Amino acid sequence: MLHLLGVNLPDRKIVSVALTYFYGIGPQTARKICSQLSLHRECKLGELTESQLNQLSGVLSEMSIENDLKRKVAANVRHLREIGTYVGKRHAMGLPVHGQKTRNNATTAKKFNGSWLRQYSTARSAMFGELQSPVSKRL
Amino acid sequence: MANANQLYYTELPKLELPTLNAHTAGLEHTDKVMQIDDGFLSSLGEEHYPGNLGNDFKLFGTPALLYRRFTAKLVSQLAQYAEKAPERASVLDGKNGVGKSAELLKVASVAASSGYLVIYAHSTTRWVDSSRPYALRSNSDQYMQLEIVSELLRGIGAMNSEVLSQIPLGKDLVVGKKTLTATKTLADLVDLGVRTPALAHNVFEALLAIASTQTNVPVLLAVDEVNTLWSTSNYRDHNDEILPASRLRLISSLLPFFEGKSTLAKGWVLGATSYSDTRFMPKNMRDTLNPAPKVPVANRELAKELKAEKLQNALPFSVLRVGTMSAMEARALMNFYHRANIIASPVTEALVAKRWIVGSGNPRQMFAGVTSFF
Repeated sequence: MLHLLGVNLPDRKIVSVALTYFYGIGPQTARKICSQLSLHRECKLGELTESQLNQLSGVLSEMSIENDLKRKVAANVRHLREIGTYVGKRHAMGLPVHGQKTRNNATTAKKFNGSWLRQYSTARSAMFGELQSPVSKRL
Repeated sequence: MANANQLYYTELPKLELPTLNAHTAGLEHTDKVMQIDDGFLSSLGEEHYPGNLGNDFKLFGTPALLYRRFTAKLVSQLAQYAEKAPERASVLDGKNGVGKSAELLKVASVAASSGYLVIYAHSTTRWVDSSRPYALRSNSDQYMQLEIVSELLRGIGAMNSEVLSQIPLGKDLVVGKKTLTATKTLADLVDLGVRTPALAHNVFEALLAIASTQTNVPVLLAVDEVNTLWSTSNYRDHNDEILPASRLRLISSLLPFFEGKSTLAKGWVLGATSYSDTRFMPKNMRDTLNPAPKVPVANRELAKELKAEKLQNALPFSVLRVGTMSAMEARALMNFYHRANIIASPVTEALVAKRWIVGSGNPRQMFAGVTSFF
């Protein structure tokens, strides 16, 4: 296993497939990264030289992936909630955001929506003693 | 296999077949199955036979092909061009499975045994399908494929070990940081390219330049799946845009020979198309090689436009059509299959007629019909 930027990547996988193991990189982005570094389609991760791995790390470190991306998404959703938008309220209530029906289904939204708001930041609680939960006075 | 049923698991019969070479390639051997030279095949590398021939040779137990009338015609043309090369390259074309790759292999084998310098590329699809490494050439928009070229040079060196040492460089040659004196031969040049993969492209281009202008030895430049030279590859550039095959340095060094921009002093430039992988068959080339049936157009202006469009799509090479097998050839093939234990029953006129008609004279279809229960 190759450990790159905090993610364990399987050596035997093709590079464009292995890159999708990063949060924030899908097949298209992975393909663009491979094109940028002139890596052929069937290149396996284990076949890369050290200089190619360094180049790959360099390209990945310039992108917003993993925790950086998660923080951005969480901040975006929090902002929508704070300014009192409809979308923010739907996130907070854990209901579908994009106008889907709620008469039936909507199970995915009920399970996952609002997770960006239900993150307890220990640093912030310690400093300000603020309880961050969906059932907040600010709602 | 201790418990194997002896009725089914029999050993492959050892067939004694004449070897196809410069002496046996004559009209007297037409409609005979001949073995391809082992030395020639070993220089292609293991399991690197063109097209579907690898599986066929495994089944036969020996690398054998039928010497057809068309093959005899190609061999006679090869002998004719030994003194002076034609102006245009020739490309073998025909339906899928009709024997284009097999004919090219036979011609290359005969040329190698006749003392030609044979540059034979049997699988160019692997050059463009993004299965091998590539890198951008510095100060250029071309892309290099050092591994592929190095492998090609190794094959050329193995196939032409004696011939290459007969051709001197003629002048001092600087390849990268290495200098080869005029007394060195092409064998030294190819050896340099094999030992130093980083210089493979420079060596290959120098080899083509020297081989095409020298008159000591005739040259056969044979490229199978030649349509890939004009196709779009599966590679992408730095901006994630698809690369046309012409931007690959290896292909750009071969294209001029098929487009008439570079010619050989002595020898022949021969290619063969392939419809097996349609990803790398350019549409305009396919339409030009296989035009739609002609329908008289009443509108004169429209007829003029169509004629102008046809001239625009004219191909830079001459096309040699590989036809279907004749009945005699089909019979010879069936007899061989019987000898190789592929057909258990004796070969009768009825069996030959059935296989020939059902397969429409197409060798691939006839073979598939015979092995359909395998």
